Amino acid sequence: MLRAASDVASADASLVAAIRNGDEAAMAQLYDRYSGVVYSVALRVLGDTGAAEDILQEVFMQIWRSPDVFDASRGSLAGWLAVIARNRAIDSLRKRRPEAEITEVIVSVEPDLVRGVEWGRTIEKIRGALGSMLPPQRSALEMSFFEGLTHSEIAAKTGEPLGTIKTRIRAGLLALRKACNP
Amino acid sequence: MSVHEQFADDLALYATGALQGSERVAVETHLRECAQCRSELERLRGDAALLAFSTSGPRPPSRSRERLLSAIARETRSVPVSRSKWGPWWSTLEWAAAAALLVVVFLLLHQNRLLRTRIGDLEAGSTEQQQQLQQAKQLLATLTAPDAARYVLVAGNKPPQPQGKAIYVASSGTLVFLASNLPDLPPQKAYELWLIPTTGSPIPAGVFKPSQGSAAIIKPPLPLGVEAKTFAITVEPEAGSPAPTSQPIMVGTRG
Repeated sequence: MLRAASDVASADASLVAAIRNGDEAAMAQLYDRYSGVVYSVALRVLGDTGAAEDILQEVFMQIWRSPDVFDASRGSLAGWLAVIARNRAIDSLRKRRPEAEITEVIVSVEPDLVRGVEWGRTIEKIRGALGSMLPPQRSALEMSFFEGLTHSEIAAKTGEPLGTIKTRIRAGLLALRKACNP
Repeated sequence: MSVHEQFADDLALYATGALQGSERVAVETHLRECAQCRSELERLRGDAALLAFSTSGPRPPSRSRERLLSAIARETRSVPVSRSKWGPWWSTLEWAAAAALLVVVFLLLHQNRLLRTRIGDLEAGSTEQQQQLQQAKQLLATLTAPDAARYVLVAGNKPPQPQGKAIYVASSGTLVFLASNLPDLPPQKAYELWLIPTTGSPIPAGVFKPSQGSAAIIKPPLPLGVEAKTFAITVEPEAGSPAPTSQPIMVGTRG
């Protein structure tokens, strides 16, 4: 999925710098490296390959037009792309305008997790953690992230108290963190 | 957990986009002033990204890559100058430009004040010159008016004699000549006034036909700095002559 690199963050920063200078080959490299992440998230949210391709195109075109929207010194490019793709897909699903400027979105992911040789293990850990969660907790987490439901909507849908939904979502995120950063 | 506990759950919901309404506003307000919670939000977004990574597997069709690369090839964009590299220089230049602009503004204000003073002086001088010009015009109109009545005052009962008076300023080359009681001219003839210099040939100083024996010539300018020995009048063809062609009928002496 992701190529091996001694320093993923540094390599990403170099690619973004090259793209800033109009380097189309660097843009192709960036696409090859991260298009899978962006596409799979958009497909999971939208459930439609054509719509997911549109999100893929939109996210990468935005980087090409405005490479400075991502500040390599402030977070992980892989994580940032995943969150931005999810947000755009949710906006598309709800047919609404983007809620936040993407430059305001900072995503902190340990670089080691997305190294080429570690990538497969990271996915296994994440899926393992999700599999270990109680179904209501996993469901609350996925409804908020992949379906874009608010905690009130999740509470209404599941019949659970608001406070319980809040606690489940936070606990679910922390469980993922713990699984990948023991 | 180094985060304010009252916001702990809401931060997690905010990270997944599940927080709305007043609770979302409260979190955003708190985030603006709390670095610890901003840091925790970044980590929670990282946790959410891990959830996103769980979807990993499907690959986009190859046409998506071609579509993107075609789009960026079509879309030329200017290469921006990095502010981080040039920022301090630009900042210095901007301050220098602002300071220079300030100096220019002060200089312009000072110059403006001087110009206003100068304009005031010029306006006062112009008014005075207008008055002088008006007087000169009135004098000229009086001297040259065809209906001007001229009176020659002589002692006793002597009949009026032909007279000419030339007032000449050599340094400015200006001449005022008044004549009276001149005899009538033959047809197609005119009087011509001559400046007779101390050295050299006579210089034409005006051709005129008197009205009822009188005439006035105001002649600026004649050649500058020519010292006049005297003035003389001859009878010449109507168009005048470059040099006298007849004997003078009147010759002046300096009074």
